[in-house]
Amino acid sequence: MAQFISRKDLLTWLAGLLQHRTVVAPVIVQGNVLFRPIERTEQIVFTSEKSVIPPKEWFFRQNDVLFTVLKKDSGTEISPTVMEREAVLFGIRPCDAHGMAIIDNVFLGNPADALYAERRAKTTLVGLACIDACPGGFCSSMGGGPQDPSRLDIMLTEAGDGFIVQVITEKGNALLASARLSDSSLQAAAPPELDKAPAVGIAKPMERFFNHEYWSRVADRCIGCQICTYVCPTCHCFDVRDYQAKGKIERLRTWDGCQSALFNRIAGGHNPRPNRTARLRQRFAHKLLYFPKDYQGVLGCSGCGRCVVRCPVNIDIREVISDMQKLGVENAVGSA
Amino acid sequence: MEAPEAVRANPFVPYLATVKEITDLTPDVKLFSIELNDEAARKSFDYKPGQFAFLSAFGVGESAFGLTSVAYRNSGIEFAIRRVGTVSSALHELEPGATVGVRGPYGNFFPMDEYKGKNIVIIGGGIGMAPLRPVIDTIIDHRDDFGNLTIINGARTPRDLVFASEFEAWSEAKDTNVVLTVDAGDDSWTGRVALIPAVVKELKPSHHNAVAITCGPPIMIRFTLAALKELGFSNEQIVTTLEGKMKCGMGKCGRCNVGEKYVCVDGPVFNFAQISKFIEQF
Repeated sequence: MAQFISRKDLLTWLAGLLQHRTVVAPVIVQGNVLFRPIERTEQIVFTSEKSVIPPKEWFFRQNDVLFTVLKKDSGTEISPTVMEREAVLFGIRPCDAHGMAIIDNVFLGNPADALYAERRAKTTLVGLACIDACPGGFCSSMGGGPQDPSRLDIMLTEAGDGFIVQVITEKGNALLASARLSDSSLQAAAPPELDKAPAVGIAKPMERFFNHEYWSRVADRCIGCQICTYVCPTCHCFDVRDYQAKGKIERLRTWDGCQSALFNRIAGGHNPRPNRTARLRQRFAHKLLYFPKDYQGVLGCSGCGRCVVRCPVNIDIREVISDMQKLGVENAVGSA
Repeated sequence: MEAPEAVRANPFVPYLATVKEITDLTPDVKLFSIELNDEAARKSFDYKPGQFAFLSAFGVGESAFGLTSVAYRNSGIEFAIRRVGTVSSALHELEPGATVGVRGPYGNFFPMDEYKGKNIVIIGGGIGMAPLRPVIDTIIDHRDDFGNLTIINGARTPRDLVFASEFEAWSEAKDTNVVLTVDAGDDSWTGRVALIPAVVKELKPSHHNAVAITCGPPIMIRFTLAALKELGFSNEQIVTTLEGKMKCGMGKCGRCNVGEKYVCVDGPVFNFAQISKFIEQF
């Protein structure tokens, strides 16, 4: 017997959680699905459409005030960013939970990023299993899956007039204390079939064909718009700069992307990645070669497919992965 | 309300510090002597030659600079900073007494203990002398622990030699040879006018029981490396400190990577055996 929650009871449970916690859920903002803190449960949209921006932004914000500097008569003072209350991230898809687990390696590694770590610890992840295949998605090739409950605290799978409830962690179990659950013999639909990318062992050809002309061919059509980095659940590069307003100075951390020509340019003008080819290759190499080298084999892509769908010139990471593997097969050691 | 532990431990929050002294080293390089305001922080802020720290000009931003002083002298934290970008320009505008922020130290360091008993060749170009100065100071302060010391220092013009006021003291140290060169001389310059790699080839320092430590613009490093290899130095015997755009110093911001290596945590000090394995150009 599975545990079950009706749609009505789910909303009642979430409304109760809203009393003492921040609930972050998919809502419509100017026509786009985005994760935002809600005030009322009616704001939540239940849609198979992925959020335009992955919910990593709850932990790693587009703009984050690292601290504030106050210049007073008595001297300069640093005022740390005050932490928020406990939160529930509701409706997160398995690929995006996987994305967070990937960047946990970066932000929770020593020394832990204080803001990210605190938010991560204070947030419970309530996932929604994918019933339908999504455009561009290839999560099952990247070590996850459309209904993969790992990396979540609670997983909900739509069935009948409600959801089958899977408790994954103690944190999830505690959050469910106030939920009205019932036993049900309902069965979840079989997971959808997703597109495939032959990612197993991809680091090897990525390293071997690092200087292959393939990269300049792909880069020829890249226009450097960086949309791939902004919609990516695992892109974590950032800029740190000061912003001054109304007598106070904020040190801001903002998202940044490796496709910009200025990203690596040092004062004085030297640029280690002076052309589009080097920059385009950096994004793929970071995810498919450097990540597994730096973090015990972890690939830096969760297969959410956002970059595939959004790229204006159809550069497709699934294609890059299979092209690299093909190069490996064509140039197999010992082949004629 | 008392801030939670995690907030106080925010690794991006710098120590507040006071600029004690600013000295003009060249027309565009100043030496900043800085003291951390908090006494406990002053005592715990320990660092080694080759490490770097972030210096904040509040309201403008922060940048990474090599630590130019040696910690054991307890005479303040020093940075030699060339006016090149936004933050360095803002720092150049400061007066003694100004409040700045310091966070660090970051990165690895020159393994000075491994160099004991060896002949050391220091090759620095322009502001590249900044992270090499603590190496020179360490050797001179512990002169008997090391073999011969050769310092080859080049700059664009005589006015751009950053530690000119210290050359005399350096050359007076036992078994120490200071060789200066410029790309272009002026009326009063009677010394060498030559590029650093050419001077290295001319002086022919021996590779026997030696280590060469170099820092400067990437183009200088490349040709200096070639010159040293010609003289028989192995990749392991040639050490450099790399520069990279950095925003965190903790291997997170994704700016300074060269292949899978992060200059901020895996470096900035690398020998050429390590660099020759880099998949990307630095």
